[in-house]
Amino acid sequence: MQELIPAFDWHSVIVEPWTRDFVFTGWIVLMGFFATAACGLIGNYLLLRRMALVGDAISHSILPGLVVAFMIFKTNATWVMFAGAFAAGIVTVLLIEFIHKQSRIKPDAAICIAFTILFAIGVALMSGLAQSGSIHIDADCVLYGEIAFVPLEPPAVWRGIELGPPSVIRMGLVLLATLAAIAVFYKELLITSFDAALAKSLGMRAGFWHYALMGALTTAVVSAFEAVGAILAVAMLIVPPMFAAQLSNRLPMRLALTVLHAALSALIGVHLSVWLQCSTAGAMVVAAAALFTAVWIPSLISQAARRWIRPAPEETLSWAATSENALKE
Amino acid sequence: MNRPALLVLCVAAALIPETASAARISEITETQFWDQAVRFFSFQDPALRFALSGSLLLGICCGLMGAFLVVRKLALMGDALSHAVLPGVALGFLWNMTKDPVAIFIGATLAGLLGAGTVRWLQNTTKHKEDAALGFVLASFFGVGICLFTMIQNLPGGKQSGLEQFMFGQASALGRDDVILLLIITIFIAGTVLIFFKEFLLTSFDAGFARSTGLRVQLFHYGLMLMLAFAIVASLQAVGVVLVSAMLVIPAAAAYLLTDRFGLMLVLAAAFGMISGGVGSFFSFVGRNLPTGPFMVLAAGLVFALALGFGPRHGIVSRWWRHRCRKSRIRRENTLKSIYHVLEANDFHSESISLHELAERRHETLEDARGQIRALRREGLATVYGDDVNLTPPGWQRACEIVRNHRLWELYLTNAADMPADHVHDDAEETEHLLGEETVRKLERRLNYARLDPHGKLIPGVEDIRRGRTTKPAPRATGYGGPR
Amino acid sequence: MYARHNCILRKLRHTAVVPPAEPSPLEIHDLTVAYHKKPVLYGIDLHAPAGSLIGIIGPNGAGKSTLIKAVMGLLPAASGWVKIFGKSFQENCHRVGYVPQRESVDWDFPVSVMDVVLMGRYGRLRLAQRPTKSDKAIARECLEKVHMLPFANRQIGNLSGGQQQRVFLARALAQESDLYLMDEPFVGVDAATESAIITLLRELKDAGKTLLVVHHDLATARQYFDMLLLMNMRLVAFGPTQEVFTSEILQTTYGGRLTILSDVVQALDSQL
Repeated sequence: MQELIPAFDWHSVIVEPWTRDFVFTGWIVLMGFFATAACGLIGNYLLLRRMALVGDAISHSILPGLVVAFMIFKTNATWVMFAGAFAAGIVTVLLIEFIHKQSRIKPDAAICIAFTILFAIGVALMSGLAQSGSIHIDADCVLYGEIAFVPLEPPAVWRGIELGPPSVIRMGLVLLATLAAIAVFYKELLITSFDAALAKSLGMRAGFWHYALMGALTTAVVSAFEAVGAILAVAMLIVPPMFAAQLSNRLPMRLALTVLHAALSALIGVHLSVWLQCSTAGAMVVAAAALFTAVWIPSLISQAARRWIRPAPEETLSWAATSENALKE
Repeated sequence: MNRPALLVLCVAAALIPETASAARISEITETQFWDQAVRFFSFQDPALRFALSGSLLLGICCGLMGAFLVVRKLALMGDALSHAVLPGVALGFLWNMTKDPVAIFIGATLAGLLGAGTVRWLQNTTKHKEDAALGFVLASFFGVGICLFTMIQNLPGGKQSGLEQFMFGQASALGRDDVILLLIITIFIAGTVLIFFKEFLLTSFDAGFARSTGLRVQLFHYGLMLMLAFAIVASLQAVGVVLVSAMLVIPAAAAYLLTDRFGLMLVLAAAFGMISGGVGSFFSFVGRNLPTGPFMVLAAGLVFALALGFGPRHGIVSRWWRHRCRKSRIRRENTLKSIYHVLEANDFHSESISLHELAERRHETLEDARGQIRALRREGLATVYGDDVNLTPPGWQRACEIVRNHRLWELYLTNAADMPADHVHDDAEETEHLLGEETVRKLERRLNYARLDPHGKLIPGVEDIRRGRTTKPAPRATGYGGPR
Repeated sequence: MYARHNCILRKLRHTAVVPPAEPSPLEIHDLTVAYHKKPVLYGIDLHAPAGSLIGIIGPNGAGKSTLIKAVMGLLPAASGWVKIFGKSFQENCHRVGYVPQRESVDWDFPVSVMDVVLMGRYGRLRLAQRPTKSDKAIARECLEKVHMLPFANRQIGNLSGGQQQRVFLARALAQESDLYLMDEPFVGVDAATESAIITLLRELKDAGKTLLVVHHDLATARQYFDMLLLMNMRLVAFGPTQEVFTSEILQTTYGGRLTILSDVVQALDSQL
């Protein structure tokens, strides 16, 4: 066990990443923060629409999109990968709807069927290509990404100024765009998520906003894919909004808490991975889940307490009062 | 590049326009493909025997459990649990740093149950809905698993752990112990399902009613979750963490499309699971250690696509075919009705009408009318001499029936449903094709065998239909009919 | 002295002479049910006489279904107790027949009409015991009673709403219980089915069974049931229909809800 969990050394775990490897750590934290924040912001709306697992489906089915795009265009240029992934995202949504509408398969099973088949196509193509030697995507990379390689990318240069690793820049832009879209279309997104029928009666196109959200989701997940992989992207979609929803009931506050949670989990995750020498993205997810658990446990305890301890007499009395009043008036 | 890779390309051919280069390369190694295939079917290789029997067994486990997931709408629970077992696998490995099947089995089962419990707790103690709870368990457990895996790889001997096979599956890595474990699990699952079929059926169909009969629904739910965890853990080695949920859900969903009986659905799901498992391990073997999981899932996906498309009752193609048949029948019946109308307009003086009259009546071109008549002739409902159209006795009978249905229905709507006479025609146009003989009898009784429709036209009666085509229906103006 | 003596004597005679009567089919004492701390049912007391057809009436959200579910322990009670024929529900569950709301099940489920009716017999079978031939015969009889025998082999999704409700009813009949709890059996059924169901319910009542039926339609409640239970989160009135179906009691039952509504509206207004 001691071999597995190295001793916790304050200096090497907390201090050194910021003194000795400042640039390296900085880019990783920034990438983790951008990715988690962008996914989490969109995840808030997925959670409101009870579509959290559609995010799961899309993040899996991006893989065949990437592989097929690579096979067709024989390049892994950013825009090609992006187009492939985007197309795959749309195919997933359509396939889910097709299976669900054309048969009596329930939506949950339809989601499961659609994305696993697409993912299987992706993995099969990938391993076939890997055997033929024409492509090397690391299979593990697909699942949990390689955020540690991000700082090693040749930096993007804009008018002679070195900006930083291109994927971090891209992720930052996606986060900015997400924030801007939420700010501009705040009320549309809110009302279509809350009550699609009302939105329709107000003349809003609920279908359009649904697909717009799916588009934004795909964009965020594709950009984060490289860093965190398919399955951990799901964590970044779901865990931050859950954390926020646990603490607040108001959407603007939830969005702010999501961003806070993203920053915290990126930071804690990096230190965790330095300490345990494990996958950085995995550590970020563990940190994110731990943060959620930290805010969940108080309510867990109070619920358990309520179950074991009889309700206080005042509480019962207040019930009596409510129903009494209700009937008296 | 070898043959299976090509086959995969073919699967995705709709997406990929370029398979040509792959095909060229494959020709070189074609013999190798056949050699491997022969080796596969000779079952000489003991490793192969283990791999194949393991794949078949896991197909049964997954199919049976998947059937419950599909009908209980728990498909995504399967997905979440299959990811949630990962940390358990890692901890089982850490037990004594080998891939000891029993240690991994226990660890993974515990992790799966913890995952199922967490989903429950999250739903009970927070306002989060099921989807969020499942997503949380899926992602966070997987995150923990990934951390453990990468930590194991830093250990001495960790690099050769072979744990990465748990990601996408490798049937050929199945050993004797694994297969024995799988066999025990399969017998356990199949036996439990068989013994408690009645209870599982009732709790799945109507939990509220089940509890009202005094059945411990929770117990059966957790029993099912335990068996689900068993099935997932048993399949991990061969299918891989990521795609186990597919092996659970897809064969069962295909079975769900094909049958309306739960017992049969279980059998079919197990059979489809076996087929997928066998086919998957075949391709994996032929392709020399390609990951098994994706191929099994693709085979299952093919079965599902066939069921979705060609299932006798719910299949898309069969439904489309039935729809088409109905549409052409309605078109034929409408033509018959028009012919009747033309004959009626002539006071049934002549037995035949000309194509021209028909086309005029239907506001169609002559060519369209000819096409319609051709369809009638194919069905033996009409004969054509030159431009003259004659109805055959069955044709005449059907025409009378349709007109009768139409007018009866109009009369019924005006009399019984109080609709104005000018509102009933469109509805009757639809309904006339749907009324069965029994309903017609009821309608006639209800309307006192009226002879006149709301527009004052005669309703052909049974005797008119029987009497053949030359007779003009005798007017009998004492009907109950007509608008009130 | 004499009076006291007499009193004791009477008590003795009472216990000795009168045979222990069958306890009430359904006795509820101070039953409170809460969802997330908010009470949905508060302090329900009920003593249902045997052989009666009781309609449960109240506005939406009055807790009618909750009451039925709480009686069977499908929902946990925050306080109070329920007795079925003098025993707890667990001990006497085989004497209770239940017709859940039609929406409570997935009608795409791959079972046939016959399978569903057979489920009514499951409560009488031991764990892991298969339905016997006599069970099947009883199920067939019950199907015949609701005129659904010709549909025995249909998948349940291919039935009309009224037919589905009849299947549920047949299942409850197959339970051969003494107390029936029915949750909105008249929702979404055609007129023919509605009258068929009510005839069947009357037959059951005449056979000495006790029936509690959640009903939403005030217009028919009066003619269908011989006893009514009016409730709005708590029991408003319970008694023979002629006595409790008065405008005053109805006002209390349905009016209370409206004032809550106006309260909420006011609260919302003051917040904005």
